[in-house]
Amino acid sequence: MTPTVAPVKHARWFSRPLQYLGLAAYVVFLGFPLLFLLSTSMKSAQELRSPDNSFLPNRLGLDNFGAAIEKANLVQAAGNSLYVAVLTTVIVTLVSLPAAYAMARFRTKLRGAATIWILLSQVFPFILIIIPLFLVLKQIGLVDNPHGLVVAYTVWSLPFALWMLRGYVAAVPVDLEEAGAIDGASRLRVLRSIVLPLLAPGLVATSLFTFISSWNEFFFALVLIQDPDLQTLPLTLARFVGAEGQVQMGQLAAASLLATIPSLAFFLVIQRRLTSGLMSGAVKG
Amino acid sequence: MKRQALPGIAAVAVAALVGGCAFNSEQADSGGSADGPVTLTFQSLAFQDSTVAATKEIVDSWNADHPDITIELTQGSWDGVHDQLVTQFQGGTAPDIIHNESSDIMGFAEQGYLADLGPYLSEDTKNAVSDEVWDTVTTREDEIVATPTLIQTYVVFANTDAFAAAGVEVPSGDQLSWDDLRAAAKKLTRDGKFGVGWGLRQPTAAVMNTALGFGGTFFDIAEGDGADTIHVGDNELAVPERIHAMAHEDRSLDPVSLTQSGSDVLPGFLSGKYAMYIGGNYLAQQITESAPEGFEWTVLPPLAGTEGPVQAANPQTMSVSARSEAPEQAAEFIDYFMNPENQAKLAQGDWLIPASSPARDVLAEQTKDTPVWQPILNSAEELTGAPFQKASKYPQWKDQYATPALQQYFADSIGLEDLRTKLTDGWNSIE
Amino acid sequence: MTATVTARPVRPRRRRGVGGFGGNGGRDAWLLVLPALIPVVLFSVYPLVQGILLGFTDAEAGLNQPVNFNGLDNYARLLDHELFWKSFRIGLIWAFSVTILQFLASLGLALLLNLDIRLRWLARTLALVPWAMPPVIIAIMWKLMLNPSYGPINELMRSVGLPGDINWLGDFSTALPAVIVVGIWAGMPQTTITLLAGLQNVPGELHEAAAIDGAGTWQRFWHVTLPALRPVIMAITSLDLIWNFNSFALVYVLTAGGPGGQTMLPMLFAYNEAFRYGNFGYAAALGNVMVVVIAAFLVLYLRGQARSRDS
Repeated sequence: MTPTVAPVKHARWFSRPLQYLGLAAYVVFLGFPLLFLLSTSMKSAQELRSPDNSFLPNRLGLDNFGAAIEKANLVQAAGNSLYVAVLTTVIVTLVSLPAAYAMARFRTKLRGAATIWILLSQVFPFILIIIPLFLVLKQIGLVDNPHGLVVAYTVWSLPFALWMLRGYVAAVPVDLEEAGAIDGASRLRVLRSIVLPLLAPGLVATSLFTFISSWNEFFFALVLIQDPDLQTLPLTLARFVGAEGQVQMGQLAAASLLATIPSLAFFLVIQRRLTSGLMSGAVKG
Repeated sequence: MKRQALPGIAAVAVAALVGGCAFNSEQADSGGSADGPVTLTFQSLAFQDSTVAATKEIVDSWNADHPDITIELTQGSWDGVHDQLVTQFQGGTAPDIIHNESSDIMGFAEQGYLADLGPYLSEDTKNAVSDEVWDTVTTREDEIVATPTLIQTYVVFANTDAFAAAGVEVPSGDQLSWDDLRAAAKKLTRDGKFGVGWGLRQPTAAVMNTALGFGGTFFDIAEGDGADTIHVGDNELAVPERIHAMAHEDRSLDPVSLTQSGSDVLPGFLSGKYAMYIGGNYLAQQITESAPEGFEWTVLPPLAGTEGPVQAANPQTMSVSARSEAPEQAAEFIDYFMNPENQAKLAQGDWLIPASSPARDVLAEQTKDTPVWQPILNSAEELTGAPFQKASKYPQWKDQYATPALQQYFADSIGLEDLRTKLTDGWNSIE
Repeated sequence: MTATVTARPVRPRRRRGVGGFGGNGGRDAWLLVLPALIPVVLFSVYPLVQGILLGFTDAEAGLNQPVNFNGLDNYARLLDHELFWKSFRIGLIWAFSVTILQFLASLGLALLLNLDIRLRWLARTLALVPWAMPPVIIAIMWKLMLNPSYGPINELMRSVGLPGDINWLGDFSTALPAVIVVGIWAGMPQTTITLLAGLQNVPGELHEAAAIDGAGTWQRFWHVTLPALRPVIMAITSLDLIWNFNSFALVYVLTAGGPGGQTMLPMLFAYNEAFRYGNFGYAAALGNVMVVVIAAFLVLYLRGQARSRDS
């Protein structure tokens, strides 16, 4: 994997106090909004409205969470999000694994084409895809349907999943496969018993990343899902904030926290692998 | 082999692309009545707990009595309903029965998405609503594309304790002129408190509705071809001018509140920061729900300009999609939805005014012990149709030109003449 | 969103096929790629090509609305559409401000994280969190932070005696800067982590050699670190620029383009044209223009970088 160099110990770029001051500023900038969200989610409506609203909540109340779940229809939305994200992840993983293998191991014109496509897919604004995609999905009856969303997310996540996985495949020494082949094992068997186990961590990272992207996605869902019963979490939350009803800051904060938990948890699981994997995938080609 | 595959695929793709841009694949509307049991979807936009419950009750009782026509209730949201309908109509997934408001729905009618309810609605329903209000939901071709349900007006809520503390008499009578409002607001502004808070983040509808009090109609709709032209004279600008003066000359209207939504400003009213609070009458429900113990409030008489306390009737509406399988059955449900008891129940939950006069009578009877209802119901007497509801590009003009221009004017970053120009030129640049 | 960076050009590994599996690599590769290729062609390439063509038609919402090619009409209309120009200007200000400020902030953080410094783990973890959060929730969170009456930002301003009643997202002059700050917050993780990884790949010997030559801290940063980082910087800033120019969810929830179109990014503008006003052909034309503009900027930027490296 990447040759990780230990942090340069002798570097004296700034004097120490300045460094800590800088770090503290970053910690506050990055962390304060999160703490504020947490504290708001605990506060009662009265406390939020009172003029001397302090930063720390008066109580550790969880009733906002209960109310948010009920009111914003979070359970149903979470179910929809989960269904779409899991199905997308499964399809993307199944489809991208062989393709990534081919891209890493065979030098054909495909590889160049695929790389160009992966880069291009980042440049094109969604608006250009969404209108015709909407019409295509409409013709096959997948508008306002979670499976339409799965289709959109699959093609949208594929380039990146391919990119990541290709890096992981490339990191598996070819010699291992050759050795297996010389031993007379069938190709499938070599792949299954030698390559796949080595790929497993990368595969997990790729699928979790796909899951997170689908779980968080908003734009496609906004256009493709109109039925309130089919809405995904981001959609439900965006509507919850928009409603011209009472300002329920506490509930809004609670709902937001709940919706972040799954992706955050997964993210922390894969973050080390993700960062090193991304780089190695890129560096090793 | 694969060498030939690629050009092949490309050829097929190009043929498919040229063959059709996938747009022209709609089915003509079926129309008429379906045989046998039908299930119709109804998307409600009710958002206050009380109205959501009332809507559900009505649907449940209908379903219990009508095994052949099942109504499936879904919950939409006012925020984004326009985009949602554009997408649903285009995708062919619109609900059968559509809840919206007249100024927003008429554009869809023009695009052919709504069924003509004229042949299906009962006489009772037709007679319950005044012709002026019907007119706001009737197309040039005399098709009735929606049924008016509840009407929102803009009312002035007052914190009576704040009036007492400032030694100002709470206005009473049939109407409250803008000048009296301004005078009262001035007196009530002291000690860092403002006379008025008004959540005008979306100012256009409020201005369109209240401008009628000064005879400000904004649009001229030609009799024959329905050509719509804009006209921004002094009558049209009377209300914005007064709001501006209160906010920036008298400082009696909190300018920050003008950049916020109605419900954002409400806490300021409840905490005593604003002695008066202007907004849609539906906000009364939120006041009753969240007012602190001992908070004394009332509704002031309807705001009046030179033409009296006139406001535009921009009713909420119930429409039927042109592609619904069973418009007749859908209209049957709308008839039921429109009966006085149901409308009164909905109106009470939202503190809105029923378009149906029998329903208003029921409501007056039911609320005779709640004095604040009286001025709200009274404001219904002077509701009239307004041309902006028929101007076909009104929603786009509202978003792209009117709202930004009014916001800038209220923020004191452009003057009255600039406002006039922006409103006029904006309208003329659409198309 | 996602981030990936090519730090070094791909190095050819091995000739076609894996040894021992015969010379039919080409067909195998096709077979393996096919399952991924089919959905991509059907639901990505095909709609994309159709979308580009749609930009040359008058497609509009409406039941049984006919669609005709209208050549360059849409583009002629765009040319004198004042709101379009305004939106594009806002989009460029937004994309460049966010990208540049985000880069500077991330570079600073990455340099700190690359030091042996206490509480590094905390900053590192915090720096990753926004990556995992749905943009919608980031927007909600900041909306609460910036609330004029209850938000902690205004409270802080009040407590130090500044005017504490600014409606950050509702005021014409503050809306765009406020949204840019949120954009920076949301996008810092990818940039920071990428730069950090790049920093860790800078060979330590180079620094030591430079230090022996008597180069000061600043000189070493300028002459050793920065040139070594250049490929990473180029890649991540280009990607950031694209993502920011095309971003949607964050601003849609924060301001929906308001007040008065002050934060109407091109994507929001195009979305409204298509899904609010039903002008599908016009919106697609807008998308085409966006692609051309982005591509032009990227070519200029990358070429400029390449030239300055050569010289």
